[in-house]
Amino acid sequence: MSNSGPNKRQHKQAVIAASALTAILPAPALAHATGQSFVALLPTGPYMAVGVMIVALSILLLWFLPHKSADRLLPRLLIGRLAPPHRLRSTSSLGFFLLFCWLLHTGFTGTRDPLENSLILGFWVVFWMAALMIQGLVFNLWGWISPFYWLVRPMIRMRERGWMTLPRAIGVWPAVGLLLGFSAFTLADPAPDDPTRLASIGVIYVFITVTGMWLCGPRRWLSQVELFSIIMALFSRLAPYGRRGRTLWLGWHGWQIGQGLSVRPGLSIFVLVLLGTGSFDGFNETFVWLDLIGVNPLAFPGRSAVIIPVICGLAAGNLILLATFTLLIVLGDRITGGQATAHQLLPRFATTILPIALAYHTAHYLPSLLVDGQYVLMALNDPFNTGANLLGRDGFYVTTGFFNHRETMRMIWLSQALVIVAGHVLAVVLAHAQALHLYRNLRRAFVAGLPLAIFMILYTWLGLWLLAAPKGG
Amino acid sequence: MTKSNSDDTKIVKTPPITDTKQPNRRQTIKTLAATTALAAVASTTPLFGRYGQAQSAEPIKIGFQVHRTGIGAAYGRWYNRTTEAAVKKINDEGGINGREVQIVAEDDGTDPKRGAEVVEKLATQHGCDIAFGTLFSHVVIGSAPRAGELKIPYFVVSEGHHVASGMLNRYTLQPGITDVKSQVQAMAPFVNSTLGKKVTMIYPDFAFGHDHRDYFSAAVEAQGGKVVAKIAIPPTESSFTKYFPKIPRDTEVIYHVMVGPAVLTFVKEMGEFFGNSRPEIFGFIDSLEAVDLASPGLEFLEGTYFWEGNPRYAQANQSDYDKAYRAAVGVDNNGASISDSKDVSTYAHMFGCWETLHIVKAGMEASGYKGAGDRAKLIEAVEAMTSMPHSYANPQGAKEFNGKTHQTFGQQYITRVENGRLVLAHTTSIADTYYPDEVDYTSQSF
Repeated sequence: MSNSGPNKRQHKQAVIAASALTAILPAPALAHATGQSFVALLPTGPYMAVGVMIVALSILLLWFLPHKSADRLLPRLLIGRLAPPHRLRSTSSLGFFLLFCWLLHTGFTGTRDPLENSLILGFWVVFWMAALMIQGLVFNLWGWISPFYWLVRPMIRMRERGWMTLPRAIGVWPAVGLLLGFSAFTLADPAPDDPTRLASIGVIYVFITVTGMWLCGPRRWLSQVELFSIIMALFSRLAPYGRRGRTLWLGWHGWQIGQGLSVRPGLSIFVLVLLGTGSFDGFNETFVWLDLIGVNPLAFPGRSAVIIPVICGLAAGNLILLATFTLLIVLGDRITGGQATAHQLLPRFATTILPIALAYHTAHYLPSLLVDGQYVLMALNDPFNTGANLLGRDGFYVTTGFFNHRETMRMIWLSQALVIVAGHVLAVVLAHAQALHLYRNLRRAFVAGLPLAIFMILYTWLGLWLLAAPKGG
Repeated sequence: MTKSNSDDTKIVKTPPITDTKQPNRRQTIKTLAATTALAAVASTTPLFGRYGQAQSAEPIKIGFQVHRTGIGAAYGRWYNRTTEAAVKKINDEGGINGREVQIVAEDDGTDPKRGAEVVEKLATQHGCDIAFGTLFSHVVIGSAPRAGELKIPYFVVSEGHHVASGMLNRYTLQPGITDVKSQVQAMAPFVNSTLGKKVTMIYPDFAFGHDHRDYFSAAVEAQGGKVVAKIAIPPTESSFTKYFPKIPRDTEVIYHVMVGPAVLTFVKEMGEFFGNSRPEIFGFIDSLEAVDLASPGLEFLEGTYFWEGNPRYAQANQSDYDKAYRAAVGVDNNGASISDSKDVSTYAHMFGCWETLHIVKAGMEASGYKGAGDRAKLIEAVEAMTSMPHSYANPQGAKEFNGKTHQTFGQQYITRVENGRLVLAHTTSIADTYYPDEVDYTSQSF
């Protein structure tokens, strides 16, 4: 008889799937479809060097550009007068509210398989992965799909004058708390893709949101507390399409931030937490992190076993980012003789890293979307389990074949890398525009921006390294 | 033990499946839910005759503990697909005891703690008759005690030695897939007699690799061979060039079981190290399960050997059973999905789900299983099983089930990479896989 102890046996099989295989998962915290063994064969070192150099070059280029405002650095075109009637958006919003209610219902009553359950696919894949990308990369989708927007006007009409409203001074601090809680749920909870669990949380969240809108004023609640409305509002400012009043414009990504962003108290921290969480999400899977917390990456013991380390890592990652970023912008100000406080500088510069947050999100979930999107199509093919074959997908098997070949993995990896680099270049431009706006002098703006520029270069390297690094768990 | 000969056997019971359409669990469940309502209409159709008894009986609920997420998700996808295909076949043939089979899938996140919760949910919340399908050993070990407490039969498809080692309980069985101890030791005769007697083992330095080291060392020495070096690689290693010089010059065979994201790098660097003069090389397909061997960078594997639980590529002597099984699961002759020739399956392992479900069916029918009250009878019926012939129900090959240890034994396959395909070089006997019993679960009370 073998004298293997329980611990020895315990991991015997666990390692098998830590081979060249892929892990495809619906929950974003888990969802990292990777052909990591093929990535390891790619010349990621030179690729990373090129990516970092592009960002560094973009910084140098700014020095040679004439003194331009962000408005001119990020030009836009008028498309025309186009303002969809409020009623149309409201109806759409109501429709998505009802759809969300149905999804919550399927969370309780539908299949327990996360890759078939409509709530899991609808929330994690369609909304959290895809809708955020569309929001930042194309247009303000949230204006149409927000399940809460339709309640705003009726509530305003029904609420009596003199009722309590959420003080502006509170800013978005409640949302910062919710963002941290949501991040902990996605990254550390053992089962964020359990349909019943997600449905329960969804019901509670809808109840709190609707109650909060009623008690504290619908607009205030949606702009200061409701987590997803705030994330979507921020990402929509990166989209090329955007409305100003009753006109529709098309411009470079980020032109809307160049136009200026009203920064409520706490919003800077919110943006930094958004990026910090996205960054830790990638780091959380690397061999380096797993080794750090004493987990054998080839025999991951399950999420239940790493709840505390992940929460601690999430908190530490966010604190490190916040401290580093603050230090660098204050340093930039000081070396040009400025006297501005962190409190004054953060609102101006924090929003400039939004493109990086969107880039991390997009690059991070792109592989997962390639697989989980197929499950969504399978679900849409027969949404009510009636045996329908609406999209002609009957007989189709979901595939992950593209992760098992070097050339397709190269394309996927390079696409992710391109997104990361583009996000940083845009952040560099936005930061420079902000610096110009603040210092009114090209030389001063450039010098003050140097520490932040170094941060951007290092963060580009980090983003690309996270794509290339061996992963487990 | 007799070695099965796939060529001279005929399918008697079930014709090969020609319908390769994907079985759809949701549709299956929906069909079940609608059975009563449709009975009046459906009973007029010829097909419905086979489900006649299902009208008056609840479906058999099989709780499928599936690695849908977590580290085992890639395997879970194929286990899921094989399970759906097997259930479709069983239902098409009239179900179990005339009752239709319903799969209730619960994701365990490849997490032992969740695994135990899933078993509990399957048993208490979903009212499943059995729990089934777990692959990863740590999840099996985390879940089996709960299955024992809840007295629900727990049919695992894990390959782990934990069942036969005696560490689990009477409610846990592994009748559809052989364990790693038997697989590894069965390789020794072929390696010694065909490839060479002086073996260097390269393995990851933790439990998985240690098991290979221990089981194979003992087996190879029993065969008169010798392990001349044991090279343990730290799990976080991403480059291996510094380890290859440690391979003794008199090595005749390299035995490798590397896994993880660096496995292709390992192969590439080993190829660069040896160039055109290399010793014989033998590995476990676990390293390259679901990877196309024709991938660039894997040329060095040409002419090397692999253990395969079930040959990925359809062989020259392919049985009708394998042909029918492939068609049912939707896998082509290269072991890839019929929907995407690049989507290579976990062919070496997933047959275990198919075979286990057929054994469950046989066990339920032999015991006259009616409901949860008959669970002990079901276990006794499976424990009483011995020889399982090569058949459509057992497409991987014949099996010998050991009722005392709750573990099945079966032939193993050794294939050689030829033109980027794995070609059968040797089939072990079932006897090669035997080792002395380490437990007698039948002596434990229910």
